[in-house]
Amino acid sequence: MSDIVFEAISKVFPRGGSSFTALADVSLEIPDKQFLAIVGPSGCGKTTLLRMAAGLELPSSGGVRVGGRPVRGPGPDRAVVFQQFALFPWKTVRENIAFGLKCKGVPRARRDELTRHYLDLMGMSGTEESYPHQLSGGMQQRVAIARSYAIEPAVLLMDEPFGSLDAQTRTLMQEELIRISRVNPRTVLFITHSVEEAVYLADRVVVLGRSPGRVTDVVEIRPVREAEGWDRLASEEAMEMPGFGHLRARIWRQLRAEIQASSHGGAGVARMSEAISGGSYGGV
Amino acid sequence: MKFPMLRLARSVWSVKPRAAIGLASVLVLLLAWYLATDVAGLIDRHRFPSPSDIWTAAAQILTRGYAGGTLVPQALYSLRLVVLGFLVATATGIPLGILMGLSRRFEAFVNPAFLLVRPIPPLAWIPLAIVWLGLADSAKVLVIWFAAFVPAVINAHAGIRSVDQTLIAAGRVHGASRARIVWDVLIPGAMPMIFTGLRLSLQASWTTLVAAELIGAVLGLGKVLSTAYRDIYPAMIAVGMITIALLGALTTKLLDLVERRVVRWRQY
Amino acid sequence: MLSLAGAAAFFGLWQILAGSGLVSKFVLPSPSDVLVAALTMMVEPFAGDTIQGHVGASLVRWAMGFGLAAGIGVPLGLAMGYWRLLDAMVSPVFEAYRYIAPLAWVPFAALWFGTGIGGPVMVIFTGAFAPCVLNAYRGAHLVERHLIEAARTLGAGGLRVLAEVLLPGALPSVVSGLRVGAGLGWQSLIGAELIVVSSGIGYVLVLGQSNLAPEIVMAAMLAVGVTGLLIDVALRFAEARIRRRWGQTP
Repeated sequence: MSDIVFEAISKVFPRGGSSFTALADVSLEIPDKQFLAIVGPSGCGKTTLLRMAAGLELPSSGGVRVGGRPVRGPGPDRAVVFQQFALFPWKTVRENIAFGLKCKGVPRARRDELTRHYLDLMGMSGTEESYPHQLSGGMQQRVAIARSYAIEPAVLLMDEPFGSLDAQTRTLMQEELIRISRVNPRTVLFITHSVEEAVYLADRVVVLGRSPGRVTDVVEIRPVREAEGWDRLASEEAMEMPGFGHLRARIWRQLRAEIQASSHGGAGVARMSEAISGGSYGGV
Repeated sequence: MKFPMLRLARSVWSVKPRAAIGLASVLVLLLAWYLATDVAGLIDRHRFPSPSDIWTAAAQILTRGYAGGTLVPQALYSLRLVVLGFLVATATGIPLGILMGLSRRFEAFVNPAFLLVRPIPPLAWIPLAIVWLGLADSAKVLVIWFAAFVPAVINAHAGIRSVDQTLIAAGRVHGASRARIVWDVLIPGAMPMIFTGLRLSLQASWTTLVAAELIGAVLGLGKVLSTAYRDIYPAMIAVGMITIALLGALTTKLLDLVERRVVRWRQY
Repeated sequence: MLSLAGAAAFFGLWQILAGSGLVSKFVLPSPSDVLVAALTMMVEPFAGDTIQGHVGASLVRWAMGFGLAAGIGVPLGLAMGYWRLLDAMVSPVFEAYRYIAPLAWVPFAALWFGTGIGGPVMVIFTGAFAPCVLNAYRGAHLVERHLIEAARTLGAGGLRVLAEVLLPGALPSVVSGLRVGAGLGWQSLIGAELIVVSSGIGYVLVLGQSNLAPEIVMAAMLAVGVTGLLIDVALRFAEARIRRRWGQTP
């Protein structure tokens, strides 16, 4: 059982003399093996939420539990796929994928076996001895996903994983992700800016409002997807289906309201993104 | 009596936890040192002084003197040599470095001599200086000069070269003469690196002074160190080292202050 | 070219000055005298060994001291870059040690180790230690946060993060620090040998001085300079190779 439970999460970042509330009293439950996507305007705290589940960030109040156990720090049971890939540049593709397995103490032969298996799964066999800088963006992200899958985590946390890819690669990667996750389902928390991507990939979509972030809408995707049989179609066909259109429109309407509502507090944007990215604009 | 201390500690902790931890670890180390030497006698005090030994030695050298004088005249003696050597090195090295930076022809001409001399560690000049000038002060100043000279030249040279070409172009566009460009653009632009060089020069000056005085001196902190060694007086060695360290820190801070005044445009 | 003219001018001036009789031969030997002395010492032993032998003895001490400084300093610097608590604890002590000129430790080194090899090794260590630590520390801070986080989410413990993420990530900075440390260590060694040793190139310097034979002193200085240069060149070469291999790090 590896469900994710966010209970009354609040996160306040101190910024200079004052403070900035990224999240206010957010409660969310992701049942075992559900694919949940979170969408929301920039700076609404969705990445912060994911980082809390990963154990990379602590809530100011409230708690996160995965599989019933409270989250205290990062660990291989909750694998993270970063937007920037975060592949170790000095390790080959094989060494990158095997890293998590090495940490677990898996013997060499089995490590190689698993590495080859997951590379095949991602359609990347033959690249074992390449270095990340020799691969394209899409390929690098595939390696990153393979690396996360290799440790067979109970939970997969994906932070805008396709955000730095070009549009075509992005679509292909989405189809790829669907293929693997239907074969090998696990609990997934997926952050994205793209409503289409969320509707296409997820079982359920949560819309997070702007600062202070809180849940403004929850939309069930799965029943519609199964009814219209999207999985049997190519992505562009699935996106043409009426059910898809309705869901997308509904979520977009909600988002638009959020963005417009907060454009009155427009000065907050710069501060928000600053806080979320850890002060990289003004600090060291 | 305990509570004001506790409140103070807690307020330091909340404002600057890093400083508090640092202070705490230093205190712990001092305490362990005190216990190991004065109290439990775990360490042989003929080899490693205890805090009380150092205190006694410090008192001795401050009042009655050691190896030729009390602490203040000894320290001033050494300080004088360092400052002299440093200033002469700076006055000769920086202009040379600037000239080398300004004129590639000059650089090409001077380079061979410089390259030959540069890899020789300053300390290796001590025996030669002694052959030339004996154990007099001038020998020490010579070696300090040499040690401080090299970093000053190198950094002044690099500083001039590092000035952004766009700034020079901007100067030219405004019709500035070559001399003006040198004075108003290149030299100020090179200042940060020149000061980096000065810091290195100062460090080298102190190191060389210590070495030179350890080898042969009539007076000075190095003389204190070598005499204490011969007398097997580790506490006095420690006093000498601490004094040198303090003077080194003091002169470095002074240099920093000068830098802040001269290079006001830089952010710190 | 101009450089050749410069070199010629330098040596020419020197030779003229030395040969003119203005300065005593005991003060300024001519370049040829120095060369002769150097070549002679390469064949005939002086003060117990040929000049190469002396350089070798010094190099052995240097290698030991430098190896120790790098072996302790680099992991320490990386660890301080990773664990803030360790950094806060060690920093003040480290800063205090930094202000003490390495040679100031010679009396203690002599007191504790006598004329054994421990003395010079300790002095070299104090000279080489700071750059190793500082550059490792700065290098660790330069490693991208995401890489460290990725490693932790994959289950890496502290030691593994240090060895497999921080060290490779900080390598360019670490190697640069090693180069500086090596140079400072060599200089500290010479200083130590001037004071408390009975073999090695520093000893040759001292003997030349006490025999009022500046051509020997200068020949030894040349040997010291050349060796230091070779060490630096070798490390620069290694640094360049590592940068190329790890060049994928932006």
